[in-house]
Amino acid sequence: MKKLILVPKEVTAIPVEAEVISPTVIAGRTLDEVQRLNVYQGKVKLTLADHFDVTGEVAETPAEQIIVVDGDAPHVKYMGAAMDAGRLVVKGDAGMHTGSQMAGGELTVEGSAADWAGAEMKGGVLRIDGDARHLLGAAYRGSSEGMTGGCIVVGGGVGSEAASFMRRGMIVVKGDTAPFTGVHMNGGEILVFGRAGKRLGAQAKGNGGFMACFGGVEELLPTYMYDTTYSPTFMRLYLRQLAETLNVEEALRYLDKPLKRYRGDLAVGGNAEILIAEP
Amino acid sequence: MEVSFKLNGVEIEDTFAEGFGMWGTRLIITAASRKWANTAAAEMTGFATSVIACDCEAGVEAEIPPEESLDGRPGTAVMVFGFSAKKLATALLNRLGQCVLTCPTTAVFNGLPEEMADAMIDVGKSVRFFGDGYQVKMRMGDGWEARQRFWRIPVMEGEFLVEEKVGAKKAVAGGNFLVMGETEAATLEASERAIEAIHSVPYVITPFPGGLCRSGSKVGSTYAFLRASTNTPFCPAIKHSLKDSQVPEGVNSVLEVILNGLDEPSVKKAMGVGIEAATKVEGVKWITAVNFGGKLGKYQLHLKDCVGGS
Repeated sequence: MKKLILVPKEVTAIPVEAEVISPTVIAGRTLDEVQRLNVYQGKVKLTLADHFDVTGEVAETPAEQIIVVDGDAPHVKYMGAAMDAGRLVVKGDAGMHTGSQMAGGELTVEGSAADWAGAEMKGGVLRIDGDARHLLGAAYRGSSEGMTGGCIVVGGGVGSEAASFMRRGMIVVKGDTAPFTGVHMNGGEILVFGRAGKRLGAQAKGNGGFMACFGGVEELLPTYMYDTTYSPTFMRLYLRQLAETLNVEEALRYLDKPLKRYRGDLAVGGNAEILIAEP
Repeated sequence: MEVSFKLNGVEIEDTFAEGFGMWGTRLIITAASRKWANTAAAEMTGFATSVIACDCEAGVEAEIPPEESLDGRPGTAVMVFGFSAKKLATALLNRLGQCVLTCPTTAVFNGLPEEMADAMIDVGKSVRFFGDGYQVKMRMGDGWEARQRFWRIPVMEGEFLVEEKVGAKKAVAGGNFLVMGETEAATLEASERAIEAIHSVPYVITPFPGGLCRSGSKVGSTYAFLRASTNTPFCPAIKHSLKDSQVPEGVNSVLEVILNGLDEPSVKKAMGVGIEAATKVEGVKWITAVNFGGKLGKYQLHLKDCVGGS
């Protein structure tokens, strides 16, 4: 793997749109070409080198490329957007739309991520060690499908409307979630180890999708119907996968925990599941 | 009999076992306890010794420790063999539905990865209908890991989890050797040791009771209505009454070890370790194998090669 290091020169008030910070875009170019890649600050067209000190090596293919953004970049939008291979590590905070529509590879944000991180994600793994703000893995306005694949792991909490219109893939939140997590969800898996916020799964249709809450739920919609309390085998598969593949070690604590199963959202004839671990 | 070589003082005939091409699959059945995993496996592999009169040949391959199973529970690996992929699928579905779905706490996972398989049998597609519309499709790893699909089927006890597809491949059946001993006790002990050794080889099963068959058969009979009958040349009780008896002097009991495997090297390896284990028991006089002159089966599993490879 070849490593390219981008050191942010300053945190600007006006955001920088830099979807070029992606192994998919950078691989196969010369270092000089990479430095001259276009970024936008408002309507002003600038180069990557105007905002970052760019050093290191460029790989032939995206799969061989690691990009390290060495510092806070909360003003930089679209990092890793649509990346399909390789690795991107942000050693600090990341701006809006980080990893949006990514299709493969691994993107790690060691700080927190702003709104729309992993929006409409199709594949790959997005790790956010801190918090993620609103609309994590969500569908863009007007779109009928949010995440259709991939996995997002958030070390902290997440804002509202996470996983809206989710179709496939998985979101794991170690902390709490704000209201409307999984709104309009139609497949996929959401596992929350903190406390899940209000209106969880509002208007979710189901299609094999579930929301598992291991730290309780603030308030459950009345349009979710209680079925049973049980320890389904399938949950063991997810919990073991989380511990073994994604290093979510707390998952193993819930291997044998009984889960209350609710089905809904009956307001839309839905068949989604909310599974709440017994305290 | 023509002696080729001796192993641990036991004479091994220079001959071959005649193996047949079949389709095989491997499943992992897990359950809340070892007891229930083994119970389901025993049910599923019952009445499956030979396709002469059973719908398939099946057996337990190994016990899977909880740390190696997908759901972290005790598991049992079973293998099922059929004459064609279609017949295998039919037998598999019947047995899954009647013997494993019904057994408390069980779940079923593919034990033959797609990269090793020649075809994937879609068991979930059929079994799911038992859920009567309440079955739930479950996907794992979509877009970030190797995708796996399962079906969750509500049952009175809770939920039955079954992987959607299981791998199947062209396999080898009919690996065999005969353990010939001075006494019934010595022959039985040697055969048991052979079976124990065989089960250390992955992807191999011994479908007969305890892995052994005391009533090996030959093609045809003196009765017109019977296609197969007792293997008279190897019956010690009539060795002096029968003109073409093949029971050597000093041999008073014969047991046949029969095994199926997912590929020829596995079967040969298993035969080799089995023969070697059997020859270590005092009282064992001869080892040979059953064949049809190479006219019926696709595989000729020479005992010399098997022992050399063990």
